[in-house]
Amino acid sequence: MKILLIIPAYNEEENILNTCNSIEKYNKINNKNIEYVVINDGSTDNTLKVLRENKLNHVNLIKNLGIGGAVQTGYKYAYENGYDIAIQFDGDGQHDVNYVEKICKPIIEGQVDMVIGTRYLNKEESKFQSTFMRRLGSNIISFFIRILCGKKITDPTSGFRAANKNVIEKFAKEYPTEYPEPESTVQLLVNKYKIIEVPVSMNERVGGVSSIRFGKTVDYMVKVVLAIIIDSISFRRKRRKK
Amino acid sequence: MQNSLKIALVVILLIYLFIILKSVKKKNMRINYLIFWSITGIILIIALLVPNFVDNVSKFLGFELPINMIFSFAIFIALYLIFDLTKLITKEQNNNITLIQEISMLKKRIDELERKNKNN
Repeated sequence: MKILLIIPAYNEEENILNTCNSIEKYNKINNKNIEYVVINDGSTDNTLKVLRENKLNHVNLIKNLGIGGAVQTGYKYAYENGYDIAIQFDGDGQHDVNYVEKICKPIIEGQVDMVIGTRYLNKEESKFQSTFMRRLGSNIISFFIRILCGKKITDPTSGFRAANKNVIEKFAKEYPTEYPEPESTVQLLVNKYKIIEVPVSMNERVGGVSSIRFGKTVDYMVKVVLAIIIDSISFRRKRRKK
Repeated sequence: MQNSLKIALVVILLIYLFIILKSVKKKNMRINYLIFWSITGIILIIALLVPNFVDNVSKFLGFELPINMIFSFAIFIALYLIFDLTKLITKEQNNNITLIQEISMLKKRIDELERKNKNN
């Protein structure tokens, strides 16, 4: 099983080295061989310098694409290099590499196509539950996903997700770049891919700036809901034609 | 309309058509858009030169005032054009994303191969 961690990084000079070191340390202790690729999304700080000096495996995007475009680059990389599992993993220290095994297990056992690491499924597991606004947003999105696809996803904006080979191939070819996490979840669900959630713990950000600005939360919510409604409609029509 | 004004407008429209042709020649505009813009120019010249053209057409189509017809046509055409351009921009954005991704990955690949060569 070749496992790849996709680490999108935008202005993460403070965190990225720690994140990569924690993966290497995890590999040493557990005698595993989890590979990673950092996608430097046109950072304006010294992220690229840190990546080069420490010889971390990375792809340097020549222009800033946003999180969706960066993550898709990771999936393309995984697809071209024949990885069996690709895991999205934040470069800012929010995600814990110790959960990688847990999040991969359902895929290795062949039960599902995608596993989403969620903060909300098991309250004891995760100390960091994130802010009220963000939780409210997640609840609204998850409500709409439940109506449109009939499946409960408690943490649709989670950036900690594992995908199997089929999903990697699909994402490499086509990935929503505007609101990547919720939209891609809906697209997978309407195309009958199997998704489950696994409770994980997430830490508070150590440094850097979150990609979601809270002043824009309402605007974001409206657009996400619209996007997932459109996704579910157009894909259903396509299925009927077949 | 006074003749002097008419002549002035026709001259402006001819200059406009000339500019369109020139920009296509200089590869600043695609033939696709040349057709659209030159047709609007030609229609305007016809409307200017044929007596009572605007009045008759607007009466025929049932507009109360000729100016209403002109405004509605102008707005419809402008909306269509903006819609078309929005579509085009989105398409180009998507192409751009793909290009940036592929180029960045190729650069990585080249770097790796160069390093391998150096080591050998």
